[in-house]
Amino acid sequence: MTAVQPRNATGSRQSLRTEVLEERPVNLDGFVEEWPEKGLVAMESDFDPQPSVRVEDGRVVEMDGRERADFDFMDSFIADHALDVATTEASVALPSGQIARMLSDPGVSRSDVLAVTRGLTPAKVLDVVKLMNVVEIMQAMQKMRARRTPANQAHSTSARDNPLQVAVDAAEGALRGFAELETTLGVVRYAPLVAIALQVGGQVGRGGVLTQCALEEATELDLGMRGITAYAETISIYGTESVFVDGDDTPWSKTFLASAYASRGIKMRFTSGTGSEVQMGNAEGRSMLYLEIRCILMAKGAGVQGLQNGSISCIGVPGAVPGGIRAVAAENLVASMMDLECASGNDQSFSHSAMRRTARMLPQLLPGTDFVCSGYSAVPNQDNMFAGSNFDTDDYDDWNTIQRDLQVDGGLRHVREPEILAVRTKAARALQALFAQLDLPAITDAEVEAATYANSSNDYPFRDVLADLTGAQAVMDRGITGLDLVRGLEAAGFHDVAENLLSVLRQRVSGDLLQTSAILTADFVPLSAINDANDYAGPGTGYRLEGERWEQLKQLRHVTSATNPETEVR
Amino acid sequence: MTSLEIPQRTLTLTETGPARRGTRPDEVVIAVSPAFGGTFTQTIVGVPHAEVLRQLMAGIEEQGVGVRIVRVWATADLAAISHAAARLSGSGISVGLLSRGTTMIHQKDLARLSNLELFPQSPLLDADVFRAIGSNAAQYAKGESPQPVPTRNDQMARPRWQAKAALLHLKEFECIRDGAGPVELEATIERVAG
Amino acid sequence: MTAAPLTAADYPLSINHPELLRTPTGKPVTALTMDAVVSGELTAEDLRIAPETLELQAQLAESAGRPQLAANFRRAAEMTAIPDAEVLTMYNALRPRASTEAQLLAMADRLETTYAAPVNAALVREAAEVYGRRRLLADDDADQSAPDSAVTPAVAVDEETRA
Repeated sequence: MTAVQPRNATGSRQSLRTEVLEERPVNLDGFVEEWPEKGLVAMESDFDPQPSVRVEDGRVVEMDGRERADFDFMDSFIADHALDVATTEASVALPSGQIARMLSDPGVSRSDVLAVTRGLTPAKVLDVVKLMNVVEIMQAMQKMRARRTPANQAHSTSARDNPLQVAVDAAEGALRGFAELETTLGVVRYAPLVAIALQVGGQVGRGGVLTQCALEEATELDLGMRGITAYAETISIYGTESVFVDGDDTPWSKTFLASAYASRGIKMRFTSGTGSEVQMGNAEGRSMLYLEIRCILMAKGAGVQGLQNGSISCIGVPGAVPGGIRAVAAENLVASMMDLECASGNDQSFSHSAMRRTARMLPQLLPGTDFVCSGYSAVPNQDNMFAGSNFDTDDYDDWNTIQRDLQVDGGLRHVREPEILAVRTKAARALQALFAQLDLPAITDAEVEAATYANSSNDYPFRDVLADLTGAQAVMDRGITGLDLVRGLEAAGFHDVAENLLSVLRQRVSGDLLQTSAILTADFVPLSAINDANDYAGPGTGYRLEGERWEQLKQLRHVTSATNPETEVR
Repeated sequence: MTSLEIPQRTLTLTETGPARRGTRPDEVVIAVSPAFGGTFTQTIVGVPHAEVLRQLMAGIEEQGVGVRIVRVWATADLAAISHAAARLSGSGISVGLLSRGTTMIHQKDLARLSNLELFPQSPLLDADVFRAIGSNAAQYAKGESPQPVPTRNDQMARPRWQAKAALLHLKEFECIRDGAGPVELEATIERVAG
Repeated sequence: MTAAPLTAADYPLSINHPELLRTPTGKPVTALTMDAVVSGELTAEDLRIAPETLELQAQLAESAGRPQLAANFRRAAEMTAIPDAEVLTMYNALRPRASTEAQLLAMADRLETTYAAPVNAALVREAAEVYGRRRLLADDDADQSAPDSAVTPAVAVDEETRA
């Protein structure tokens, strides 16, 4: 537990009301004064550059007040790969107010906005979004989100790295509606077993769910190449040259990596977020949002299809300064207005206050984003190996109720207990059978029973960790691939799960999941910004929560029946 | 553990000259960052720097190992501070300390960015942990292989402390003296009367 | 293969144009059946994307107004010929201060001559130029060429746990 200093250290008498307020959870959160000179400021700083651009002989020779000779590597990369040289001078010359109005005006189409934004420099983008309040940012997000249908992503991890827990919670999460599932490890050597568990559990819960395992770059790519995971996300980029280099990468190395994933048919997005540079002590005196906009343009220039942003692991930094959560909403919008898939944060422990946790996610939930959370914890936060998410399993019913109250689609639904228990058992049995087929450490019937009814890792029998680690190493040494998983599941009689997994693997031959914002439906139809392009054009258009999906979202754990008010709706 | 439970002590760090390479094979060098015990007087959660050093030194001395204290002026990077100290240490073992409390045990033959033990969550480090860190460092210096000090984790440390940590980091950076070499320190810790 | 470039209406290829899809081993995508998996006819090589398919996806991306994404797919198409291990080696060589200018230029030449990958070669040459200007090349002294391989733990509460 965090040590807490008493705040009334002066000893003077306090009012009873002050005592009550001091005890409120929000006062356990940390807040700091801005320090713009050092970059400890969200998005309004006199130290950010003014927009400018000059093109000579088809080449950007000046950007945001800097001559080409003085470009750092972010400037060089953005100028040479992200900016549309043909339109940049005209776009930057437009009044920022006009561009901001285009963004929030439903009468201007998404593609008309993109025709302008593809030529904007980082400082110009900042100049535009600085004019927008949080409602205007949401209005713009509703239109600029790349995929028409919003979705959500979950974390499935275990404090003990127990593969069985990861599998059954992945199955339940997939059944509840998550389109993507992500795991990571406490003990990294467990990765192969846990990644297999995530994949199998996911395909039991709902065929077509995409899975990933967050690891160091090279290992993550290796698991992807083997077909054990389906996509990758934790490819970090940073907004200053010095922090990028501290991360042991450059825009060119990351661009090469992006193509490496695509060359194996694997979906991939980058990760960035406000606050990372100032936290590393090298913000170069720029605001958090300005630096994040540089990241977004770098991602665009790399040709990666999408970006996870929304401060992510640094959320405590923008969360502590004035206007910080507005800046976080703006960074999601900028990713979308650069025509990138946006997995929009809400994925790390953010506040002690339930009200603040909720308010922080409304700018993503209400307009909808490609993935409202880039990691809703599908395990209790105590088991969340990403250090906790803004939402976890305890919040499932609250999330479903908020969707129903506001008639918005946050990607989840209420599922009745018998269905949940059924997929949990099946996921546990499938993993048990697959481990047996692959000669991996046994999963007992007692573990399967525990997994079916468990909440957290505490509810499972202990596993033999050394045996598991030996098994994990064997997966790597024996070169086990996704195909071996399919074969094992089929041989063990889990034909439908095997088919689901094979269908996901087959997708990498087609490359359909490489397109912007691609996910797979339960019928294995790729849904991306090409065939499900956002067509919002004002009231009554775009994605609407209606029909069968709305009927699903009307269901909650306890709803009194209108037919017989002495009973609840079943 | 909060600061109020700790008796008040003052810490005086006096520079006694350039830091030298130790010859005793049974010593641990503690290296503090530029703002430690000067610009800053306590860790991010209010553990007085006097108490941090007292506990670390006690943990080391309990193992029958000697201790020297140096200050690294030229960087606020914990790995760099710790590694510099390890190379000054007769045993090759060091403990690096940032003002906010972040701590690392290092060894001179390891790569700079590696370490023996790292305690990154400064808000969770209290007097007992600092004592245990000192004890472990001393055991490494004797060539033993102690159980690592259990690391703690608190998911709510981020919302409470992340921004303050960034602020303290920036302030620590401002105290850096470019090009200045490490200096030997003499620590005087005195209990405040009354 | 159709002569005219593909457009948005052709997407998704797995549903609208399975006849255009082949594995790098030359099998039609329709051959990727459970029977073929069970009989052992299929190997991991069969579950890779072919350079021709990446070109089709590049055309789709271009028609959707995403030139950078299309360029990424064309670099990827070239990269299908490079073995996994060498892809990783090349990626590591592009990290800051991991390579000398000569090493990067040699890598670009290898991309061009061994793998017929001119677009990737151009990217690597561009990196060599920028790294030179920004002092991110390894020293010519070979002893100095091993890069530090981890992020400096800079700040408390600070382990980066990007999710």
